Amino acid sequence: MANTNENRKALLISPELCIGCRGCQTACKNWNQLSSEKTKNSGTYQNPPDLAPTAYNIIRYSEVPSESNPVRWLFVSRRCMHCGDAGCMKICPAPGALYKTKEGAVAADRDKCIGCKLCVAGCPFNVPRYDSSNKISKCTLCSDRIAEGLSPACAQTCPTGAIRFGDRNELLASAKKAGYSKVYGEADLTGLGTLYAFKDAPKIYGMDENPAIPESVIFWHNVLKPLSVIGLGGAVAGALLHYAVIGPHKDDEEVKKS
Amino acid sequence: MSEKTLVKATTAEIINHWILAVSCILLIITGYGFVFKMEGIYALFGSNTTMKWVHNWTGVIFTFSLAGTLFNYLGEALDLSRDDWNWIKLGGGYLSKKHVQVPPMGKINTGQKLYYLAILAGGFGIAVSGLAIWLLPGMRTLIQVSHLVHNLAFVLFVVAVPAHIYLGTLANPGLLRIMIDGTVPLEVAKKRYPKWMKELGI
Ligand code: HEM
Ligand code: SF4
Ligand code: SF4
Ligand code: SF4
Repeated sequence: MANTNENRKALLISPELCIGCRGCQTACKNWNQLSSEKTKNSGTYQNPPDLAPTAYNIIRYSEVPSESNPVRWLFVSRRCMHCGDAGCMKICPAPGALYKTKEGAVAADRDKCIGCKLCVAGCPFNVPRYDSSNKISKCTLCSDRIAEGLSPACAQTCPTGAIRFGDRNELLASAKKAGYSKVYGEADLTGLGTLYAFKDAPKIYGMDENPAIPESVIFWHNVLKPLSVIGLGGAVAGALLHYAVIGPHKDDEEVKKS
Repeated sequence: MSEKTLVKATTAEIINHWILAVSCILLIITGYGFVFKMEGIYALFGSNTTMKWVHNWTGVIFTFSLAGTLFNYLGEALDLSRDDWNWIKLGGGYLSKKHVQVPPMGKINTGQKLYYLAILAGGFGIAVSGLAIWLLPGMRTLIQVSHLVHNLAFVLFVVAVPAHIYLGTLANPGLLRIMIDGTVPLEVAKKRYPKWMKELGI
């Protein structure tokens, strides 16, 4: 892989610092020129309700009362995790449609995407969405901005430091120093590019405890892919060997002789 | 020189065979392009999206063609008997240089029956799963299962098809003409398909 851990960039999300202002959602739309869709009030302030082709990030509003705090709201900023070992890239059949930038972002090339949507089935975090022409549409970690040394738009806008951008190693070290012994995404899937400083168990924040690429995709990658080469090679080699060692049937000649 | 011949394959059967063969091989080539993200194979078709289009629609042709074979081979292929078991034990006579007397065969031999049943089962699986991936994207679990089935069947095809091509050409000189003009010399037919000859009353 092109990116070593040295120059890998990341976002560090700290839900406890988030005030739910959704500046990040607006900033993302603004930078990526994404339109707004009309949504319906479904009894929550969360809006839009989920990631969408025009919403690369959302703040998830969840009410999770704790013993000391009966009205605890958790604001969790959600987007592509920029996985080190990315299920979307593994399963994607189109060369160049998904690629890693040198900062470790998982970016997409619309022109090369064939719209098969297999990445939806390969992503452990249910992130990829589709635009009206069936092309993948998701957070790119603002690869165009970070390549120029800028911060991603969402991190740039965040007024409280709930979304911070920087060198992945430095962000991890600072979270550790701030007292988070465990950072979500530190080692999962060879390290995520979106890290979370959770005070409580990840599932309280609506995150999978042990995110993993689907078993079927791993089996396909490790077993079926090599088998399709060994199988073809074996069949061709077997045929040639049979021809050389045993040789063809000679029904016709036998008939002529008899 | 007029050699006595027997018609073994009808024109419709021959045309369908070549539609099946060409579509199947095109699907295998584009399939490898997908599995290994081979830019060279994509380039043959122009753009990435064109290759997906070709693969999808060739799949439709393949599926119809496969359905067409049901009329030609399913009855024969399911007609298995003790002779077939003995044929397998002798490896169909393919395992030694010397002539091996195999049990009497009908219109198609045991190997061909098994090949047909494998292609039919694999083809059904690959067609259904392919249609699911194509038309029902986003249904995560269904697509994961379909992706697995599609690729399992792919492995079956890349082994079975080259073996079939070898057996239909180099390994059995004279066989290929069945899929070209549909005929077999009568004397060869008597030797190869004694049970079928009996049915025909020859
Ligand atoms: C291009 C290479 C191919 C050649 C030279 C070839 C040759 C033949 C021949 C000579 C037969 C007649 C055998 C007989 O009647 O005794 C046959 C039958 C058949 N072929 Fe092919 N074939 C090719 C590709 C394919 C492919 C790619 C498929 C399928 C998916 C296929 C499926 C079948 C089936 C189902 C039969 C009937 C069962 C049998 O006879 O084995 N063929 N082929
Ligand atoms: S979160 Fe999903 S879409 Fe993002 S890099 Fe990981 S697998 Fe890909
Ligand atoms: S939809 Fe596009 S990005 Fe997703 S797997 Fe297919 S080609 Fe790759
Ligand atoms: S990194 Fe950029 S693309 Fe991703 S959510 Fe933030 S603003 Fe949007």
